[in-house]
Parts: sequence; C-alpha cells; structure tokens
Amino acid sequence: MTDQPEQHPVTGLDDVVHQRVRLGILTVAHQARRVEFGFLRTALGLTAGNLSQHLSVLEKAGLVEIEKGYEGKRARTWLSLTPAGDRALRDEVTQLKRLIHQIEHGSSAPES
Amino acid sequence: MPSSGTPREVLTGLGDLTRKVRAAQRGTWFPLLLLGMLTLGGILVGRFTFKVETVACPAGGGAVGSGCTLVTQGSAVYWPLGLALAYAATAFFYIRRSRNRGVGTRVRPYVLTGIVLVALASATAMWSLRHGMPQLGEPLDFWGLYLDPASGVTRFLERLAGNAMAVGLPLLVLAWVERSRALLLLAVVYLAVELVPLSTGWSGIPFTSPWSALPAFGVPGVLLLLGALGFGLAELSGRRDAS
Repeated sequence: MTDQPEQHPVTGLDDVVHQRVRLGILTVAHQARRVEFGFLRTALGLTAGNLSQHLSVLEKAGLVEIEKGYEGKRARTWLSLTPAGDRALRDEVTQLKRLIHQIEHGSSAPES
Repeated sequence: MPSSGTPREVLTGLGDLTRKVRAAQRGTWFPLLLLGMLTLGGILVGRFTFKVETVACPAGGGAVGSGCTLVTQGSAVYWPLGLALAYAATAFFYIRRSRNRGVGTRVRPYVLTGIVLVALASATAMWSLRHGMPQLGEPLDFWGLYLDPASGVTRFLERLAGNAMAVGLPLLVLAWVERSRALLLLAVVYLAVELVPLSTGWSGIPFTSPWSALPAFGVPGVLLLLGALGFGLAELSGRRDAS
C-alpha cells in the first residue's frame, strides 16, 4: 500500500471562483440570497461593464442565475447563487483556510 | 471588494463584504417599534376592559360575609389580532425594503414564527372564551393540565405563555435572522423583564386601579421603543457613513 502525497491547498482553488471580483460577487449573493445588479455594483465599486463581464463568466460556469425583469418602468437585474455556486464558494473558503493553516503551521488543516 | 493579497487578507475582505450586506438587510427598528406600540396598547386595553367585582370567597380563605374582590382585565382578541397585523406589516416592510435596496432578506423564519405564535395566541384566546374565568380557589384547567393558580410554577408559566413568548421569541428569531448581537442582548433583557417575578408595588398603583396594567406593559413597552430608537439611529448613522 502506497501513501498518496497530500494535495497542496493551492491546487484546490478554482480559477473561476478565486478571481477577487467574482469571489466578492459570490460572497454578496450568498449572504443576500438574491441581489440586484445596482447593489452589487455599489458594494464592489465596479463599473456596469466590468460587473457584467464577471457575471457572464459566473453564469457560463453555472454558478449564478440571472433574472431580468421590470419594476414599474425600471429595468432590474437580479442574481442568485445556484447550488453549484454555493458549493464552489464553500470549497474556496475551505481551501483558503487550509492555505492559511499550511502557511502558519506548515501542515494542512482539517477539511472544515 | 476582497483584497488580492494574502489568503488571510482575502478572507478578511470577504468578512467585510458580508458585514456590509448584513447592514443593508437590517431593519430591526421597524418590528421593535410595532411590538413596542402593541405592548403599550395593552395598557389601554387593560384600562377599557377593567372590571372589579365582589364575589363569594373560596372556602377556607378570605373574609366570609364581606366577600372577595375579583379584578378582571384584558381582551382575548387584542394579542392574536395585534400580533397578526404586526407580522403582516413586518413581512411587507422587509419585502418592500429588499426590493428598494436590491438585497434579499431571510424574512421567512420570522414570518413562520409569527404564524405559529398567532395560532397559539388564538388557541389560548378560544380556550379562555370557552372555559371562562376559573373560580376562586379551584385548580386552573389548562388543556387538561390542572395547575394551582397560587403556585410559583403556574405564575411562571403564565408569564412565559404571555408576552415573553409573543414578543420575546420573535425577537430571538429576528436576532438570529439578522445575525445581530445587539438585538440578542435586547431580547435577553426583555425576557428577563418579562420572566423575573418583580413586584409592581414600586409603581404605587394598586391592583384595583383601572391602570394596574401600566407597570406590567409600560416597562417592556418602553424598553422596546428605546430599542427601536437606538437601532433606528444606528442605521441612520451607518447609512450616512456609507454615503
């Protein structure tokens, strides 16, 4: 029986999720459950174009659901996390915590 | 925006973002204002439903011949109806605020607690209407549970089944929904005020006065209104800092 070498936490980071703006979008959507485009733009300090680009990356990856509609005459865009998005955010946070533990203690932390 | 620095800085940035979203979700002052007004309204309900009668004293106690004084006050409709309206208004407030601010709120646990409490308050009110007032000296039959009206346990259960449950429980649920330690502290103080058997003799109002409900509802009502004021001011200053 051979011992499998333990994977470094860095290999568990997903490039789609790890990008800081997208990580911010997922965090806000996780806490809010449903968040409007304008709120996200203000909370993250982004331009509309920049935010849209990141949202389409997340939508293509199946991590968020985007819903467009009207309230009165005002167009509104709402987004919410998909179950895959929720899982991806949790995994990312777990990997970050493992990474911190590895840096500070020199070994991997438990999964949670 | 999360930092692109060390993993610890990234996690700290995510924590800051989460706090920012929570601040936008909170609207604690509104349910506190409603519950405070509902509680203070109990004083007026007590005043207008106040009834004092002289009835025959129970065997073995009281002054036979002159009779005993029986004081009744309170309405079976006020709390169920008041709570139902308060919960409906709070749900409407949070949903509307969520739309205006563009950030969702987990209002469902709070509304579900409200529905359960309104059902309980209605069941208790129906029970009171069906059974009427218990006779002096007789055990209190509460849903088949025979309780001694003079015992400390019965008095504690009465306090627990009253405002402590109708107002204190929703406050605890709201503290959990809003992840607010300040509201948790207020809920604990409120429950202490409702559950600790403090004498109301300090107020100088005798139990035969039509205003005898004033200390029992006045202290927690004012506490809730002060809480509403505090949370309202904190929210206002947070919004000023953000803009």
